[in-house]
This record gives sequence, C-alpha cells and structure tokens, in this order.
Amino acid sequence: MKGYILKRLLSLIPVLMVVSVVVFLIIHMTPGDPASVILGPEASPREVAELREQLGLNLPLYQQFANWFIGIVQGDLGYSYFMSESVLEAFVSHLGPTFSLAVLAQVFAIILAIPLGVIAARRRGSVVDQSFMGLSLVGISVPSFLLGLFLILLFAVELKWLPVAGYKPLSNGVFLHLRYLVLPAIALGAMQAALIARMTRSSMLDILNANYIKTARSKGVKEKMIVYKHALRNAFIPILTVIGQTFGTLVAGAAVVETVFNIPGIGQLIVNSVERRDFAVIQGTIMLVAISYVMINLIIDLLYGVIDPRVRLSRK
Amino acid sequence: MKKVSLFFLVLVLAFSIIGCSGADKTDSKTSESGKKAAGGELQVAYNAQPPTLDPLLTTAVATRDITRHVFESLVTFNQNFEVEPMLAEKYEVSEDGKTITFELRKGIKFHNGKEMTVDDVVASMNRWIAVTTLGKSFFTKATFKASGNNAVILEMPERLTTALAMLADPGQAAVITPKEVVEGATEKGLAEFIGTGPYKFVEWKTDQYVHLEKFKEYQSLTTESSGLAGKKEAFLDDIYFQFVTDASTRLAGIQTGEYDVANAIPFDNAEQLEANEDVKNHVYHNGFNGVVFNKKARFFKDVKARQAVNAALDEEEILMAAFSNGNFYELEHGLMIKDQADWYSEVGKDQYNQRDSEKAKKLLKEAGYNGQEIVILASRDYEDHYNAAVVVQQQLQKLGMKVKLDVYDWPTLLQKRGDANAYDIFVTGFPTEPIPAKYEFLNSASEWPGWTNDPKMDDLLDKINKAASQEEAKEYFAQLQEEFYNYLPIIKFGNKTTITTTRSNIEGMGFLQGIILWNIEKK
Repeated sequence: MKGYILKRLLSLIPVLMVVSVVVFLIIHMTPGDPASVILGPEASPREVAELREQLGLNLPLYQQFANWFIGIVQGDLGYSYFMSESVLEAFVSHLGPTFSLAVLAQVFAIILAIPLGVIAARRRGSVVDQSFMGLSLVGISVPSFLLGLFLILLFAVELKWLPVAGYKPLSNGVFLHLRYLVLPAIALGAMQAALIARMTRSSMLDILNANYIKTARSKGVKEKMIVYKHALRNAFIPILTVIGQTFGTLVAGAAVVETVFNIPGIGQLIVNSVERRDFAVIQGTIMLVAISYVMINLIIDLLYGVIDPRVRLSRK
Repeated sequence: MKKVSLFFLVLVLAFSIIGCSGADKTDSKTSESGKKAAGGELQVAYNAQPPTLDPLLTTAVATRDITRHVFESLVTFNQNFEVEPMLAEKYEVSEDGKTITFELRKGIKFHNGKEMTVDDVVASMNRWIAVTTLGKSFFTKATFKASGNNAVILEMPERLTTALAMLADPGQAAVITPKEVVEGATEKGLAEFIGTGPYKFVEWKTDQYVHLEKFKEYQSLTTESSGLAGKKEAFLDDIYFQFVTDASTRLAGIQTGEYDVANAIPFDNAEQLEANEDVKNHVYHNGFNGVVFNKKARFFKDVKARQAVNAALDEEEILMAAFSNGNFYELEHGLMIKDQADWYSEVGKDQYNQRDSEKAKKLLKEAGYNGQEIVILASRDYEDHYNAAVVVQQQLQKLGMKVKLDVYDWPTLLQKRGDANAYDIFVTGFPTEPIPAKYEFLNSASEWPGWTNDPKMDDLLDKINKAASQEEAKEYFAQLQEEFYNYLPIIKFGNKTTITTTRSNIEGMGFLQGIILWNIEKK
C-alpha cells in the first residue's frame, strides 16, 4: 500500500515537468506583458521598457525558465507582480472559496444524481426514465454561465431570495457562507449531476441484470435491499470514478461560474492573472492545480478499495 | 449501520443547504438594519481591478478612481477643469513664470495622525517628478524647496504655463503623503497608503474589494464643492469598492440592491434600468474613442492616406454602433471639450465627419493605394472599441479597400500596437485630458504607439507650455488643433460617456474623470 502511494507520487514528477514546460511556453508565447498592464494604456514605451527590465522580463526565455524552475525545486513558486504576496499565499487565500464551492456543488450533484440514476435504472424505458435522462442531457448541454445567469435572474433579481453575487468566508457564519454559494453551486453542479446520473443509471442497469441479483430476487430478498445493498454498492466503482474526475474539474474548472458570481476562487485567480499577465501566478497556480488533480485521483483510487474489497491493494 | 449514518450525513447536508436560504433572510435583515444604524456603508460594484494603489505608478483609471478618495494634492480641478487649491491655502506664480509658491493649509492631518509639514510636501513632490510621466517629461530640471515652515516653492528653469494644471491632473496625481511613506516606497510603489483625504485606506483584498473608512479628523475646505475641488464631506462610514468584472453581475446586483453604485453599465442595458424606479442612471462625459494610425511604417505613413480615411468616415454611424443610443455620445471635433473653456476651439470642425467618399477615393488614389491589406487592431474587452472597429472596417471596405480586423484581448493589443510592422490602425479610448500636452499622440518625443512625428505640432506644444498667459496658450492651441487635422495622428470619433447607475436613495454623486463618492448621502 505504502509502496503504491509512493509510486504514484513519484509518477507526479514527469507529469509536473511536462506541465511546467508547456505552461511556461504557452504563457510566454502569448503576447502582452505585465509591465504595460501595470503602467496603464497611456504609458510611454520607454517607461514600459524600463519596468520590463526591472521585472526581469528582458532576460532570454531559457534563463527566465531556469530561474523559475530552480525556484520551484526549492519550493518557491514565485512572487505576484500585482498582489504583493507569494504565489503560494495567493493560491492558499483563493483556495477556500473554490473548495467550499466545489464541495457544495459535488454534494448537490450527488444528492440529486444518484437517486435519479437509480430510479431511472429501475424503471428502464418508462416515461420517468426517459424524462430523467432527457433532463440530464439538458444538464450536460447547458453551459454553466447560462444556467448561472438564469438562476441569478430568477432567484436573485426576481424573487430576491438569494444574493446576486459575492462571497462571504466561513468566518462570517455558516449560513451566510452557504447563502452566497447556493446559486453558484447549483450552476456548477448541474453538469456533474447529469454525468453522475447517467453513469449511475448505466452502471445499475448492468448490475441489476447480473445473476446474483436474480438469485437474491428469487430468494425473496426485499427489493429495497437488493437495490441499495446488493446493486448500488457493486455499481459504485464507475460512479466513484466519475465523481472523482468531476471533483477535479470542479476545483480547476470553476473559472466561469466564479466570474459570473464574483467568487474569489482559484478559477477567478487564473482568469484575472491571465488578464493582467501575472506570469508567476498563472504558472504557479496551474502547477498547483495539476498537483491537486493528481492527488484527487489518487484518493479516489484508494477509495476503490474501501468500497470493493476485490481491488484492495494490501493483501497480507 | 454505516449506511444509516451516511444517510443521515447526507440528510443533514441537504437540510443545511435548503435551510440556509430561510435562515439567511433574517441574516440579511439584521445586516441591512445594521447598515442603517451604522450611518452608511456604500457598496460600489467597480468594473476593473487596480494594478496598484500607488497613484503615481500607473495611468490605470481604476487606481485613479479609488485613490482620489484617500489622497489629495496641492491643487486640483473643479468641474470646468480650472485649477483650485486643495492642500495649498493659496499659490502665487512669479512674473517670469519660473517660480510658483504654494502656501500650505495649516493643521492638515494625515491618516496616521501626523500633521502635514513642508518636508512631507517636498518629499512627495520630488517623488512625483521622479516617477510620473508628466514629472519626467516636464519637471526633471525643476525642484521643490521648502520656504519657511509653511510654504513650498517650485523652481523651474523656464516658464511653464501649464505647470499648475499638470500638478492638478487627477491621472498619476501629485498626491501628498508623509515623508516616511515616500522614503519607504520601492520600485513596486508605496508600501503604505496614507493620505489626507476624506476616506482612509483600510484593506485591499486582491480580486475582491478595497475597503475605505471615513477619516474622522478630515478638515474640509468650506468653499463650494465642484469637481474634485472645494468642500468634501464623508457622510458614509465605509466604502467598499467591490471588483465585479462581469457586466451582467453588476447589472443584476444594482437591481437587487446588492450594490449601491454600479460603474460602467453596458450601454445596451441602460434602457432596461431607466424603467426601474429603484435605480438612477448617471450619464457623464468621459473622453473619446478614435482610431490611431501607424505613421511609422506601412500605408498610413503617407498623410494623404490618413486624410482619405478622415474624408470617408461617417462618425455618427460609428458612434451609434458603439454606444447604441444618441444620448450616450456627442458629435464633437474638438480635442478639448466645451467645459474646458480655457482651451476649447472651433478650428478643424470642417475636417470632421466629412462623409465624402469621392474625396476619399481621390485621396486614396493619390496615396497610391493598390489593394494592400489594411490591418485594424481592436479588443473585445471594450465592446465600444470593437463595435466601432467593425463599422470603420465596413466604411473603408466601401471605398474599395481590403481591410482585416484583428481582435485580441487588451493586454495582447497593448503589445501588438507597439510593433510598427504588424498593423495599420488600432482603436482605443482616451480620457479627457486637462492640458493638450497630455495627449501622447500630439507629441513626437513620447514615441507612443502610432509614432507621431510632426515638428509643427511639437513646436506648438512647446509654445503652449511656455505661453505668457492662458489666452496666448489658447491661441496656440487653436493652431495646434488646425495642424492636428492636417497631420491626423488619430481620428476622433466623437465624445463618449460612461453610465454609472446608483440606487435611487443615493444622493450627491459627483463625476469628473470618474466617480466621486464624497458628499454622497444614502437616504
């Protein structure tokens, strides 16, 4: 078990090497630089050139990469041109909102999707099944920003139940914290819910036709027991994979929802940093997101063993 | 058993989500009533983030709009862009125009409790000279010196008639901070934001908000409030500049009362808000947009080619596309607006908005146009720039020109426009500048993208700056505007506006190159 985790962690190294080179090249090949953004549109080219020099942007690309890479190896992800703090500090301070949002979106998705998927599987081909699956197709197809704007119009502007946008940290109280996150969590979680519901349905269909389920039925086991104890647990591995993958996407991919709802999370940090060409933050944040993604996948892999003893890694 | 506990966990989570909306209603009520009891908190939805809060370091408008509430300068502008004293009690210009003496107001306190002294003023002003575009361009040989305990003297090697206006300019404003703060500044700017303004800086949470708090010891002038000058009263206890970059979020937030003020409302949405009794639209003049020609290389190096475009353009059509409603723009040829009575000139009006395609075609022929591709750069980060660019493209195509529109995000455009071989025209906006010398496109020495190179305009700018009186300067400016329409470094589309929307209970909003939030009351 320990060996497995170590191996997985070591495999992170080549992944991060590739990510670092690709991210660095993409960012530095994109036109635009932080100096002209800092100085504003009316600054003279001479002033921009002076600031570029001060910021070390006139060094050859390989040298800039080497400086950055040596920093990373030493645990220093760099310093933000705009935020007067290190990239790590910026990442940590933006992680809270994203994490809360991702967890809430995931909880919403799971609570909604698994029962829907199970019901659809049990009533395969019925009107209920078809309408649920139709709904899930809509969930996958509607872009989150559109759903977000629709939710804002309905629940914030028209009904005035919930705030339009913004974020209150947990320290302001749990309810206030959740109040600001409900709409973005629904907007973000809808697509995940659709994916999870579809996976639950198809996975359950496979299992419900398995021989041991038929045996259980013929033995007169209660239907509820069959569905929730025998079938769902066995159907859960592919569902868990989807949940894991979607959670990774939630952490990294909430940029649009965070922008629409003005939530100061990782997604917004990346978008804002791209807009102001804050190179160190873009590079560092993407590296950290890549690490989080791999770690989440590792945790999911380890969870397989908890659910299904057959894939347990340590067998002593 | 495990399953049962999992079920309960899910149940609790579900209830906390559903339950929170009900619980939060009370929450919001208490906070609302709390607001009222506290005497006022202003939530401003601002459209852009400041790159820094050091006003000297950047020309970015977000920095200017926020920091004007925290910092003050010796002199400032009233609503008509006339210079009035602020931290100076009065000022006196010597007869030869080379010396200006500023007598300071007494007992002015900084936000850290310290009283303002001549040393603070001298240190701040010398940093302004060293750091800002205007300082570096016009004052490098000038010095600020203390004169006794209560006055500072600006000594310049030669007459600079526009010096006071430069010192009053709200962009890269010549703000006064304590000497220690000036000394603690690095190339990254001020480390502390301590000024003398009606609001003091509390906190800047990057990507979220800047929080300002009423400065209780603020000593206001008693003269009538006008523009950035005169009486300033901080009625509200707290101001939050919330950074809301998404326009639809600002729009929704001002309608629900989440925000008290929403800046830069899209022109398309103004009408929708007009119908809402809970909010008020404020439309204010805010500079102009135009096309900037690349005069260093490619086709528009030839002045005839530029004149051809100027002859062809239908400015009304361009402005309508950009601002969607006649209330939000004004056909105006002048570089200085009518409010700037010290400068405004009618010269050049006949060269503006000609819509003469025959003349344009003739000029194009004379310029030797042979079907080469014309590249226009524009950014969708500013929808009005982009919409204008599309119409310019169409109008030039009608002349038989081959025109390509390259659309980039703003930082990319900022870089692309620096490459003389890459484009012919870029679309951009300019704020209303208080003096002609601040328009970079008039000045060859600035090497600003587009690369103006016209000795006549340089000479006239110099004459304006050294004129013996404002009347003389105005005379030279009329000649400059005439030369501007001959040389055409840029083409001005017309005056533009910005829409700021407030809740209807907000009274006393002010505008001069951006929003002014002192003297605001929340009824």
